Amino acid sequence: MTRQADQLGATFAALADPTRRAIVARLADGEATVNELAAPFELSLPTISKHLKVLRQAGLVERGRQAQWRPCRLRPEPLRDVATWVAQYQEFLGQSFDRLGEYLRDLQANQTPASPDQGNPKPEGEGQ
Amino acid sequence: MTRQELGDASTSIVAEGAELTMQRIFDAPPALVWAAMTAPGHIHKWWGPHGTYASVEKMDVRPGGKWRIAPADGGEGIAFAGEFLEVTEPERLVRTSSPDIPGMSPAGPPAVETITFEDLDGRTKMIYHARFPSEDVLSFALAQGMTKGVLEQFDRLAGLLTEIA
Repeated sequence: MTRQADQLGATFAALADPTRRAIVARLADGEATVNELAAPFELSLPTISKHLKVLRQAGLVERGRQAQWRPCRLRPEPLRDVATWVAQYQEFLGQSFDRLGEYLRDLQANQTPASPDQGNPKPEGEGQ
Repeated sequence: MTRQELGDASTSIVAEGAELTMQRIFDAPPALVWAAMTAPGHIHKWWGPHGTYASVEKMDVRPGGKWRIAPADGGEGIAFAGEFLEVTEPERLVRTSSPDIPGMSPAGPPAVETITFEDLDGRTKMIYHARFPSEDVLSFALAQGMTKGVLEQFDRLAGLLTEIA
């Protein structure tokens, strides 16, 4: 639960760095060794390894088991979570606005709109 | 870049990079649409997915005022909370909005929502624009996600929106 709860935040944090985004973009084309990943950058292998560690901890990258070169590959699930999150946001708003349209129709059909509170709602349980 | 046209005849939705724009025409004047979107007595009647009930816990509609709407009676769903930044009745509302989706994150990245109400001779064109601050990250994640088969999520959403129209 907590692990799941932290996932989206970890994904955002991991992708906040442009080098790590470039690594993910490279891995989207297929797996690669650390040496291959380091090639396009003016960065040392330890620095690349540090970035890979962050991506691994965020669940975006996994390493192969072969002892010699252990290729890195992309795990797309966290990216899907971000897209799902946006889709949920859209879905929520889309349905709400649909209901709002119906509600406005009802309000005008009745012509007796209940005068709604304009300010703060009264906290429940407040004694009068 | 990652431009997605979604929605249907009544609701147009465009997701582009880290921005989301929805347009909808309501058959009611702006003053009424404004009231329905800002008064707690109205909001709980329509906020949230079909079949759910919302509870307006806070709705202080003025610059700096806070707002929070949660599913009623601790029901399942998404709570939204934020702060009003700009209030020009009945034309323009700017607020922050942080959705809290259980199991996804403590709180999603806060969006800045700009809602404008255009008078079309007694009807209202509402433009709902949400911009996420972590733009680089979000647009990148969406772009990469798209190439990894996320599109079906959006197809499902488009299908859903068509069904409920």
